[in-house]
Amino acid sequence: MKHDYIDKYSRLESPVHSIEPRAKALALFALIVICVSTPPEAWWCFVVYAGIVFIVATASRVPASHIISRALVVFPFILIVALVTPFTKEGMTILELGFLKVSKEGLITVWNVSVKSLISIIALILLSSTTPFPDLMRALERLKVPSFFTTVASFMYRYVFIIVDEAERMKRARDSRNFRGRWIWQAKTIGQMIASLFIRSHMRGERVYQAMCSRGFEGTFPRYHDRKMKSADVVFLTLITLTAVSARISLLW
Amino acid sequence: MHIPDGFLDPKNSIVTYVASTGTLGYALYKAREELDEKKIPILGITAAFIFAAQMLNFPVAGGTSGHFLGAVLAMVLLGPFSGFLVMSVVLLVQCLFFADGGLTALGANIFNMGIIGGFLSYYLLILAKKALSRFGERRSLLFSSAFFAWFSVVVASAACSIELAFSGTVPFKVVFPAMVGVHSIIGIGEALITTVVVAIVLQLRPDLVASFTGAPSLPYAGEGVS
Repeated sequence: MKHDYIDKYSRLESPVHSIEPRAKALALFALIVICVSTPPEAWWCFVVYAGIVFIVATASRVPASHIISRALVVFPFILIVALVTPFTKEGMTILELGFLKVSKEGLITVWNVSVKSLISIIALILLSSTTPFPDLMRALERLKVPSFFTTVASFMYRYVFIIVDEAERMKRARDSRNFRGRWIWQAKTIGQMIASLFIRSHMRGERVYQAMCSRGFEGTFPRYHDRKMKSADVVFLTLITLTAVSARISLLW
Repeated sequence: MHIPDGFLDPKNSIVTYVASTGTLGYALYKAREELDEKKIPILGITAAFIFAAQMLNFPVAGGTSGHFLGAVLAMVLLGPFSGFLVMSVVLLVQCLFFADGGLTALGANIFNMGIIGGFLSYYLLILAKKALSRFGERRSLLFSSAFFAWFSVVVASAACSIELAFSGTVPFKVVFPAMVGVHSIIGIGEALITTVVVAIVLQLRPDLVASFTGAPSLPYAGEGVS
């Protein structure tokens, strides 16, 4: 596993990568919240939100294949809703397929869920693939997220690929000894793997802890340079937020 | 079980966000009492461990697979407050960097997997452990871990399906039996894994199991020097 497994592509160079992380996080979080709070009937609003996401995605030079493959996470959820809700939700019947009745309300729910989850997930993927993990954690810290979370998360970021590699090695060793994952009862083997993984991780944690203490660790990471908001960052933030907010407000008239 | 954005209505998002941030604030306060700030590296590496453990999928009948949730395990091993905080960090990172669970649903995900599947199950586990105490410290801990690890997965999936139903995304009569049914099978895996892990850690490093109050352990190899 590569060390940039968590924040792949976040070290490319593009106009989006160079935006100050706080401005980027706030703009995309605002976009997600506004998008999720929009009623499904207002389809033109979703066109605006999707347009914003598309422009940011194009400007960021993150490969489309990466965005799509990470966005696939939501498809099982959308699929379940699409298979169940139109036939079971009560409302105006617009189509009859034998004994199945398709309701308009059900179809609206499917549209609602898929458009919102897709726009939001792509916004989140764009944030994480244009901002290196430590920078985003620092930005959250400056946005008043308690430093406990960001510090624990930073340690997690530093060690996750070592631990995952350790897990992969155990998996390889297990599979080469004819482990066939067929029955839930083989969870016992996985339990044994997880137990030794825990003990190894914890011992590593203790070693790291002692090493850091002996080097003067005080519970937080020292910061040397914090970026300031430049005019480009403010423009990015206001442009995205204003466009989304005005699309959302136009509904009130 | 990680709910994406758009599947919950504002009402459900806000209520679960308030409940989760409140609990997080309290847990942070409690954890500062029982935990030296400098021990943060150990929690961070444990968070990485839970993350890695969740990648080991195990097969469930019928071609689907479940993965390990680890909320009860984290609380049994680390103590309830540190365990909850570690789970929340894992959920936060999964949300921001893997788009696994949405931003507006993060409150609900922490609520389901950290509070309902975590705290509720953990405290019931402690009660059960007390009730079973005549079987001995080790056995009572293992028995109650097994049951409440299963329970935590089932009850978290029940909470998840209730939220989805209240949001009008999927009808209750469909989503509830389906989610709870699937997760009561996945829960068996969770129970087996949790019990095996607790048993092995109790054997090798009983000092690492926060909820084990049995006989003090012997000093382990490498203490203080590793």
